[in-house]
Amino acid sequence: MDIDERNRMAGLYDFKTWRDFPPMNVSMGNMLHNRTGSWRFIKPLYEDKVPACQNGCPAGNDIEAWIKLVQRGEYEKAYWYLKREEPFPAILGRVCFRFCEGNCNRAPLDEEISIRELERFVGDRVPLSTPYPDIHPFNGKSLCVVGSGPAGMSAAYFARILGFQVTVFERLPVLGGVLRVGIPAYRLPRSIVEQEFEGLRGMGVELKPNTAVGKDISLEECLARFDYVFLAPGVHGSTKLAVPGEEGTPNVMSGLDLLRRIALGEMVRLGRQVIVVGGGNTAIDAARSAVRLGSHVTVLYRRTEAEMPAHPAEIAEAREEGIGFRFLAAPERVETSARGDIEKLVCCEMELGRPDESGRRRPVRKEGAVFDLAADTVITAIGERAAFEPMAGILEKDKGVLEVDEGLRVMAVETGKGRVFAGGDIVDAPHTVVHAVATGKRAAVTIDCHRKGVGFAEALKRISLGDGQGISFSAYMGWEPLNPVRRNLKTVVRSEHIVYDYFKKAPHIRKEVLPAPERKKSFEPYEETFTEEQALGEMERCMHCGRCTECDNCLVLCPDVSVLVKGNGEFGYVFDYNYCKGCGICFTECPRHAITMVDEETAI
Amino acid sequence: MSYELEREAIALKQVIKGNFAVSHGVRLSRVKVISAYPITPQTTIVEELSEMCATGKLDAQFIKVESEHSAMAAVVGSESAGVRSFTATSSQGLLLMHEMLHWAAGSRLPIVLTNVNRAIGPGWNIWADQTDSVSQRDTGWIQIYCESNQEVLDSVIMGYRLAEKVSLPVMVTYDAFFLSHTSEVVDVPEIQTVDAFLPAFAPRFRLDVNDPRMFGGMMTPEYFYEERFVMHKDSMEALDGYPAICEEFERVFGRQYEACESYRTEDADLILVTAGTITSVSRIAVDEARKAGKKVGLMKLRLFRPVPLEHWRRILGYASRVAVIDRNISVGLGGVFASEIKNALFSLEKRPSVYSVIAGLGGRDVTPRDVGGIIDHVLASEGPVESPIFWGLKE
Repeated sequence: MDIDERNRMAGLYDFKTWRDFPPMNVSMGNMLHNRTGSWRFIKPLYEDKVPACQNGCPAGNDIEAWIKLVQRGEYEKAYWYLKREEPFPAILGRVCFRFCEGNCNRAPLDEEISIRELERFVGDRVPLSTPYPDIHPFNGKSLCVVGSGPAGMSAAYFARILGFQVTVFERLPVLGGVLRVGIPAYRLPRSIVEQEFEGLRGMGVELKPNTAVGKDISLEECLARFDYVFLAPGVHGSTKLAVPGEEGTPNVMSGLDLLRRIALGEMVRLGRQVIVVGGGNTAIDAARSAVRLGSHVTVLYRRTEAEMPAHPAEIAEAREEGIGFRFLAAPERVETSARGDIEKLVCCEMELGRPDESGRRRPVRKEGAVFDLAADTVITAIGERAAFEPMAGILEKDKGVLEVDEGLRVMAVETGKGRVFAGGDIVDAPHTVVHAVATGKRAAVTIDCHRKGVGFAEALKRISLGDGQGISFSAYMGWEPLNPVRRNLKTVVRSEHIVYDYFKKAPHIRKEVLPAPERKKSFEPYEETFTEEQALGEMERCMHCGRCTECDNCLVLCPDVSVLVKGNGEFGYVFDYNYCKGCGICFTECPRHAITMVDEETAI
Repeated sequence: MSYELEREAIALKQVIKGNFAVSHGVRLSRVKVISAYPITPQTTIVEELSEMCATGKLDAQFIKVESEHSAMAAVVGSESAGVRSFTATSSQGLLLMHEMLHWAAGSRLPIVLTNVNRAIGPGWNIWADQTDSVSQRDTGWIQIYCESNQEVLDSVIMGYRLAEKVSLPVMVTYDAFFLSHTSEVVDVPEIQTVDAFLPAFAPRFRLDVNDPRMFGGMMTPEYFYEERFVMHKDSMEALDGYPAICEEFERVFGRQYEACESYRTEDADLILVTAGTITSVSRIAVDEARKAGKKVGLMKLRLFRPVPLEHWRRILGYASRVAVIDRNISVGLGGVFASEIKNALFSLEKRPSVYSVIAGLGGRDVTPRDVGGIIDHVLASEGPVESPIFWGLKE
């Protein structure tokens, strides 16, 4: 019965005097349209939301879902479910800087969950060279990917699933970019990267190493041969120290050069005493690599530890390996002998002044506080610059960054305008593997929108997750989510939504790590993957924020028996709106905020 | 006496406690749903009823609940479904029901409740005191005060008759221990006889899952006032209809009841007003006083809501003095019955002086000697006393 009909019915009973009243307080019409009476003005519904970890992941990894699959014993399904949103679990499970864990709602209770370790566990369950099983047939369009680093690999992977004919050009003889020649092998074994490329090859991606775009093949030719181009050449140039004595000696080198040379198997000789200048992840990677080459290493950083961009866990492990840190100091000049040997590094103490545009306090030279440091080798890691020949002019003008729109389309290209996209370290994004993967994923989606002639802005809005950092590839593809319930991609479940009373404290499970004196002897990885028991134990700690787990809390606590089990093997519950009073107890007591209250008149 | 006759007499007359008299009244009324929460001194009523349900003597659903509030809520539900329902409680339990008492009356549900009058704590006290039920007088319930175990049983049966006639709930009350746990000879009628007096419940509206209605819904200022008026009017109708029910009861069972009862009041200068077991004690005191040449009578309150104003006036109007003995107290005023009696007599041109006497609170014994003392005190009094007399206060 609609509202007009109800009003008409009400008009039939016009109580003019007390004699017209019924003998009881009872409605004259029946309530078949709303059996619970007019009490309810808001109603609950089951609605899965975005867990804080997924919101924190630049790539939008649907962590909760694959944890749930592992908990159900479906390891292989978990692996492929993970790969819906994040293509390289074995890689990111080792090297990701864990933005998910930084957002984990478990932290206020005890400690965040070791999501990266769990991802590594899932990533190692299936042979990596297995291609993704659910690939669209070729759509007739081709994509050229420039650079085989994480951004290029990610774009190739998602574009291939979407049906593109993908070719990857890599200027180096080895594939993987930063994964292969940047990140040291003790953090990411070479074999893992190689196997992932086997998987891409199995999906039908054409891989062309030793092919530098701009030299072996021009960008114009790429644009002529391919429908779309995705530029992910990465950053290979290093910022100079810009101090006297820096040039003309082989004993001052950049951290990126050092890492690349080690990765390519060159014989690298460092002096006994190595000074690494810089505070980022490259500085730490270089320092820890130098330790493994037998040197004594000190990291020199012009701010304090609090301002260091390097990941705190990396800094901690570096310390364990005997690396020294000298904060609030910067090099003034390098004094070398006639032979080119470094005699000393002259430094100056610094102090922190007003914040700069990055928000960090600017280091200021403390006048006269000059001191000497003994050094045989100086490694610079104070900044990286994109070096991509075909766009050198543009990069020079724009501080080494390619300007792109929200769909990662390169704005400044005249030729093939609208068909050139870019990602990874060459665009204005944090220089991490997962950010690079995220740009590749986003670009693949916008390229597909371009192919279909649909506006990518609306598409991205529809599939963007939570605060808008990541996107849901599953939503773009129309893949069914794991929980067959209504899904809200925008609402993030944060700690204030969690009912912690329902969770027991349990600190996270720690793995055995090879002690520092052992691990620094070689470039071998020093951490094992979680055992099944460890992984399941750690997964037990997942609170499944925003996602129904059939915990039965709503079923048990509903005072009106209006939560009904679907039964017959179907997942979840239904609300019996005939009797639900809208009291909200289910909503308040849902431990994980998987229930939403909406206005009574909301159509569901 | 033949063997047969003797057996029949044994079957009819039983020596039982007041609480079992209630249980039998409920059984004989063919109640279908019982829901109650135990509280001393009410407990044995529902113990006996659960026994009856278990052994099949009574075909009823016994709903166990976690509080009196829920007990009343449960019978509100069952009575709404058109099923004759019963609950019993006492003291704190009745107070916990308070919200639902209003709900039951406002919903116009003819529930019968027995309340064993017990003092309200603190101090913790399980003995006779009527403050619990008098403090529920504005809930819309019909209230009946009983003096004997026989009256308790009969009032339950008559209670359903009256309640269902006017669609208002009935509360039957009687004193803790003096009746609840004291055995008396009670005539327990045959159920077929009761059937002749009390027909099956025929509700005017009932919950029907196939034709669901909203019960107790929102009512705006436009309508609420009229609804309360109708409730009041129907309560007054209960007063008007009560004599006919009493007459029919007398015809079937041979026992006579009235809205209030008088004893030796015809030429009395002083009339005592009592409710509950103090009445029996006072009868003795009145007889003693009469023997001593004092013109003293007694009015026993039965129906307290609706108030039988005319009845009270007719009995008390010609006396010069009225002494109301209250086993209850409205702190800051005095006896509740005294206050009500004053209200009833106020409009009379020539009205008696009304003395308010507070006695027997918290189960303190009130003996014939006490009542004799009250009689002498009032008769010797110079004139009307505004403040209540606290009889037996340790000074």
